[in-house]
Amino acid sequence: MAAPTVPEVASGRAERVVVPAPPYRRRSPNWRRALRRQLLPFLLVLPALVLVGGVLGYPIGQLVATSFQQLGLFQLIGHHVLWNGLTNYRQLFSDSQFYSSLEQTAVFVLATVGLTMAIGTGVALLMGRVGKVLRTVISLTMLLVWAMPSSAASIVWTWLFQAQWGVVNYVLVALGLHSFGSHDWFASQISAYSIVTAMIVWQAIPFIALSTYAALTLVPNELHEAAAVDGATPGVIFRQVTFPIIRPVFFLLTVLSIIWDGNVFNQVWYLTGGRAQVLNVMPLGVWQYIEAFATQQYGMGAAIAIVTVLILLVVTGYYIRTMVRTGEVSA
Amino acid sequence: MSTTMAGSRSNRRRRSTWLWRVVAVAFCIVMVFPVYWMINSSFEPNSQITSLTPSFFPAHFTFHNFVDAVDRPWFWDDARNSLVIVVTAVLVVLVVAFLAAAAVARFRLWGAKAFLVLILVVQMVPTAALVIPLFLILNRAKLTDTYAGLVLTYVTLTLPFTIWMLRGFVKAVPIDLEEAAMVDGASRMGAFRRILFPLVLPGVISTGVFSFITAWNDFLYVNVIMTQNYHQTLPVWLFSFSTNTGTDYGGLMAGCVLFSLPVVVFFLFVQRRIVTGLTAGAVKG
Repeated sequence: MAAPTVPEVASGRAERVVVPAPPYRRRSPNWRRALRRQLLPFLLVLPALVLVGGVLGYPIGQLVATSFQQLGLFQLIGHHVLWNGLTNYRQLFSDSQFYSSLEQTAVFVLATVGLTMAIGTGVALLMGRVGKVLRTVISLTMLLVWAMPSSAASIVWTWLFQAQWGVVNYVLVALGLHSFGSHDWFASQISAYSIVTAMIVWQAIPFIALSTYAALTLVPNELHEAAAVDGATPGVIFRQVTFPIIRPVFFLLTVLSIIWDGNVFNQVWYLTGGRAQVLNVMPLGVWQYIEAFATQQYGMGAAIAIVTVLILLVVTGYYIRTMVRTGEVSA
Repeated sequence: MSTTMAGSRSNRRRRSTWLWRVVAVAFCIVMVFPVYWMINSSFEPNSQITSLTPSFFPAHFTFHNFVDAVDRPWFWDDARNSLVIVVTAVLVVLVVAFLAAAAVARFRLWGAKAFLVLILVVQMVPTAALVIPLFLILNRAKLTDTYAGLVLTYVTLTLPFTIWMLRGFVKAVPIDLEEAAMVDGASRMGAFRRILFPLVLPGVISTGVFSFITAWNDFLYVNVIMTQNYHQTLPVWLFSFSTNTGTDYGGLMAGCVLFSLPVVVFFLFVQRRIVTGLTAGAVKG
């Protein structure tokens, strides 16, 4: 619609003389133009709204509704709707597995998010310290790890820690730790959790490190030098000069990590090879899946999902509020 | 006196520089090892893989695993499905998200803040919990077991995060340029298309990589939505290497290499843009 008038602008030529407004514009009454101006942004968000509202909103609404229903295979096939009020929630809160899963999730999220943020920020700082060659090597390593699809990564990690032929056991035995010959890493809860944690941290470091490094490059060097001249120690410089500048990124990355790790499912499922329940490696995401699919109690599974979302909301609420207040979410 | 002090300080600095270099190299070796091990195993015959002394480089180099992997049933079908579905989904999601991001970042839109927070909250819903309800509505729309159904699924699942990221990129571009174009007679949409879009292109590409990986990885949804064997995607194929009789690790590692390859190529291709893109996207939040 604007095609005839734009070439001058697009080509950047200097003929920015008066471009006559197209005639149809002049003719259209003011109110119509105002309406169109009001309508345009709405039309632009409309496809996204329809998709999020229709394709995602409906299932989420359905999920909420299901959490108040008794929905097993029988009801699913027969299209019976059997409302049972708060029964699922009551059952959930009286189930000792809930408290176990909650505790596991909390410890797991604390460990993974803590480790990824600490190591990721450390690597970002390291990238600023080393020379150009090593920095490129680190970036390439990060990209390689990051680009590895998580299903392939899970498979490779099971292979690394395989009991008989896995390279980790081989190296440990070679180092003199003979008890690790044929050691089964997925035989106990703690051990399985450690490996899941290690893998998730390994996968998440690149995103955190590269984003933080990108943010760090925005800190003007003069600030560091000035602080150093004033006799500030590296720790003080980091806390008082560097960190305040990367704080928005740090917040956003922390929130995203908490959300992702709080919902962990895939990696646990692949790595434990379906033994999650036996080992009691059941963070909320895994427990939810087992309740819904293995025992076909979809209502209960839905209730667990809803409670998980509420918990995540409470945990990240502070960060999100801060982000909104500091203008991070200002539209 | 003062010279010795200066000397010892520069010595200390040099020593710490070396320390950081050693740390960096050690870190890279640890990080890259799983990737290296996958590649190494994929070029070794199974007899070597399942021996008690693994070799740290492919001593008995062979392409056998790759030939076997490609010959497995459904590889070519699944590869084609994966590519068509994921690429379509990424293109659609980028267009939809760019329009929404431009609207949210450039207009005083009623409820924009609420919309953005809502999108973040949507991210918190465990994806595994949405499989059944999503299947049910796709089924009602007669979209199960079709490309369109899976494309729609991936578009919707990646949309929230994509809008969030693109909004950051759009906000990082000064609005003056578009205003100048509009003074010169361009319409709002013309300014978006000819001024804003080229400027946020790096951001669009790096955001596209995210959606690509998410969709490329999916196993849960494709498994439920597609019922025919020839409609599955590569992750499903990848899990066919483990059977009740054991796992063909050589073939599996070759499969993992083939599966990761498109993503790695895509990544290396746009790597500079990803990093510069992240700055704008994350920092200008």
